[in-house]
Amino acid sequence: MGELGLVHQLIIPVFGYTITLNLEVIVMTWIVITFLIIFGMSAARKKDIVPQPLQVLGEIFVEQFYKLTEDALDREKARKYGPLVCALFMFLLLSNWLGIIPHLEEPTKDLNTPLSLGLMGFVIAHYAGIKSKGFKNYAKEYFQPIFFMMPLNLIGELAKIISISFRLFGNIMGGSIIILVVSYLSYSVILPPFLNGFFGLFVGTIQAFVFTMLTVVYISVQVK
Amino acid sequence: MGLGAIGAAIGEGYTAAQANLAVSRNPKISGDIFKNMLVGQAVAESASIFALVIAILLLFLDAPGATPLKAAALFGSGLSMGFGAIGSGIGSGFPGGQCCLGISRQPAIGSRLTTNMLIGSAVCQTPAIFSMVVALMLIFMDFSNSPLFPTWAALIGAGMSTGLAAIGSGYGGGLAAGVSCDGIARNPESVANVTTTMLVGQAVAQTPSIFGLLVSFILLFKTFPESQALSASMALLAAGLCTGLGGIGPGIGNGMAAEGAVKWVARNTSRSGDLMRTMLVGQAVSQSTAIYAMVISLVLIFVL
Repeated sequence: MGELGLVHQLIIPVFGYTITLNLEVIVMTWIVITFLIIFGMSAARKKDIVPQPLQVLGEIFVEQFYKLTEDALDREKARKYGPLVCALFMFLLLSNWLGIIPHLEEPTKDLNTPLSLGLMGFVIAHYAGIKSKGFKNYAKEYFQPIFFMMPLNLIGELAKIISISFRLFGNIMGGSIIILVVSYLSYSVILPPFLNGFFGLFVGTIQAFVFTMLTVVYISVQVK
Repeated sequence: MGLGAIGAAIGEGYTAAQANLAVSRNPKISGDIFKNMLVGQAVAESASIFALVIAILLLFLDAPGATPLKAAALFGSGLSMGFGAIGSGIGSGFPGGQCCLGISRQPAIGSRLTTNMLIGSAVCQTPAIFSMVVALMLIFMDFSNSPLFPTWAALIGAGMSTGLAAIGSGYGGGLAAGVSCDGIARNPESVANVTTTMLVGQAVAQTPSIFGLLVSFILLFKTFPESQALSASMALLAAGLCTGLGGIGPGIGNGMAAEGAVKWVARNTSRSGDLMRTMLVGQAVSQSTAIYAMVISLVLIFVL
């Protein structure tokens, strides 16, 4: 049970500060990125009216998420944010599924990954809000309904980052801890494949989708 | 475990009652309904199975040289899982029941309803999973280097924070999932929109339990300076209680907002974007109480 909460870290001291790198997470993230790049290139390599199987798969992803973005935002904004949304989902999906392969771990199991993605979504949403409404109207919303509600509105916005990233992190890490403990208790007989199927594939897919949808919805709340 | 069983029992009872209603409406497909009821109950039960696992661990764990601190950790772990399973148990009963009713109304789309029910009730389990994570951490982490006062209070507080906050979130998520099964049965074409709205609504309804989890983590991982004063311990205990209790209301309230949105997305699919936005704004406002509770907890932990 000792491996619970063990992280391989590389700590680099730089001018009195320290930079901490979680090696496993970086390696796993790069595995996901490499796989996605290869998938993207091979799906788009031979574009044809009669598509290759990979092209079909790519088209399904792009079309579905483009449509979802268009429903939540409008046509013009969907062209802008659609690729982001689609890429975010594919990255998260693959990250959450990575854990079912032995010796590989989900990058999303480490709080840093969901937190940085959450921050990214937050910055993008507020950038979109300022751009579409102008800074004055954007700032005015914080003083609704009465001016002294400002700090609470601000905390409410910041709490969104916490909630979106901890949701993904809690689910994925919770799943892997439960798999670890139950496998240990049952001596890895019978149960682990089912648990992996449920927590890895099923919960992983749902949480990837929820994270993506929430990012879209945060953008749409800021824009409208 | 006892607490955890309450929720699952209520949830399963609800499913069975709705299944009876469904059978009496459309006796011809009672076999389908019965099958579906069992699947729904099995999912509703998983929260109490989590509680069972924790209870067994607590019973058979040989704690060598059990210190009072470890005892506090184990007690907190039991509290976390017990409370945490209540909401998810009740909540995931709703989709099961509504799904049975839906099948009796629209036998042709049975498989679609079952899929939706499974997704909905799996998401309802998330708060229970959070409480299980906290429970497992409390059981397996090594606290032997921390001073007894006030760490004992932090550990019990950590358990209560996630456990109590999970009640509302689990229940609220169940409301949204239940009404989504109903909506799909009424308007099978709206299935994509209804499921999306349900997922977003449930995710936001879970936010209070995420705040609970955050406070629990802080209480677990922060090292507190030793102090014999009662107020230090009580502040930490109160921090856990505050986020936990404060999360119940917003969890249920957000679930109700999601319930309304999902219901009307099913009836008026073309306006789903507007409905989702209104739902989110409403949820954000009703969530502010959970945020206040979290702020108070953080003040109790870091300032006092």
